[in-house]
Order: sequence, then structure tokens, then C-alpha cells
Amino acid sequence: MVKVEIINGPIDFFPLNDNRDQDGAEIVFNGRVRAAEYDKIITALEYEQYEDMAESELKKVAEKTVKKFVIHDLFCKHRIGKVKVGQSSLHVVIRSKHRKEGFIAMNYFISALKDRVPIWKWAILEDGTKIPSDCTSS
Amino acid sequence: MIKIKIKCFSQVKYALGKKELVLELESGTTTQEVERLIRKKANRNLDIVSLSVAVNKKYISKSLVLNDGDEVAFIPPVQGG
Repeated sequence: MVKVEIINGPIDFFPLNDNRDQDGAEIVFNGRVRAAEYDKIITALEYEQYEDMAESELKKVAEKTVKKFVIHDLFCKHRIGKVKVGQSSLHVVIRSKHRKEGFIAMNYFISALKDRVPIWKWAILEDGTKIPSDCTSS
Repeated sequence: MIKIKIKCFSQVKYALGKKELVLELESGTTTQEVERLIRKKANRNLDIVSLSVAVNKKYISKSLVLNDGDEVAFIPPVQGG
């Protein structure tokens, strides 16, 4: 099953599930905002999306990942708006029979998300200035 | 003539100082021609920025002729995560 959501506000994490009798692995990834972007100290990132297209592309990437790998569930929440240093901007849960395919699928999904989904970061510097982030690491 | 809307994000928004532009263009204008126009308006600030193109919120892989009412976005490298 695939669930994706783009939200403006703190992430309400997906609950862990102790009743999955077919999944030996439940992998959780939380992407958090670091205190520096390209050697600049920041207080927060502001995530900007192309409304509708971002969620639609996120869903396509998630569906492709579920088809490509032997995994059962892929749930994802991505924040937009201001996210303070230390907070999670991305939350992903993958459930699979074995851990190996789950980890490979997780890596593929996050790389594909960073390649396709129209979401951008603006760095909020200590003096309040807002500039487009240079960070496009995959 | 056709009227199209350009949505601007990240470096494109920063370079043009606008979230959105509305352009009136000759019928038959292509996405490639509009991209040239946008890069020109940006005064060389987008020269080293690679741009993907979306028309009506879908990526396109080849230049196409625009229609009246189309929404176009020149998408700088995305940065989700």
C-alpha cells in the first residue's frame, strides 16, 4: 500500500505496527534539518512546493518504488513551510518481508524523490535573510 | 495571440523577483522559446541553472507548442527531503 502526504506543520509520525505477520522489516527514515547549509549557519529551512504537482509526483515515485521492489507498504510525509533546525522534514516508513529489499527500496525512493518531486528549500539565515538553498545533494 | 501563466519557484523566483508571470504570446510559441525569454528576463542569473519544464503540472521531455491558458513552470533542480 502507498500513502503520501504533503503537510504544512509538524509531522504526525506513522504509528509503528506490531501486528504485521508477513513483514520481517519495518524501516523508518526521518530526514531532519541540519544547522548549516553550504557552510552557512541557518535557523530553519522553508520548503516550497509546486502545489498539486509535488504530491502527484511524490505518489508516482512511491508507486514506482513499490512496483520495482518486493516491499508491501511505503508511507511518506513531506513537510512544506518553515521547518526549524532539528525538526523532521521527511518521514518515510517501508515494510517488507526482509530488511535487504526494504533498505534498497528506501534508498531508491529518497533518491528518486530528490530527483523528481518539485519541492525546494530556502535557507533562513541567522539575520533572517531568506535565500534559495544551494543544496541539491542526492 | 495566446495568454499563458508562468509559475516561478526557487532560483527562478529569486532571479525574477516574482512568483508568477502572465505573458501574451504569438500563437505557435513553444516552451523552448519561452524558456529563452525567461532566461533573458533573469539577466544572466539563470545562466548556470538547469531547468526542467512542466506544462499544466506535468513534466515534458521535448519542447511543445503552447496553448491559450497553459500553465508553465521552468523547474530548477529540486531539493526535497
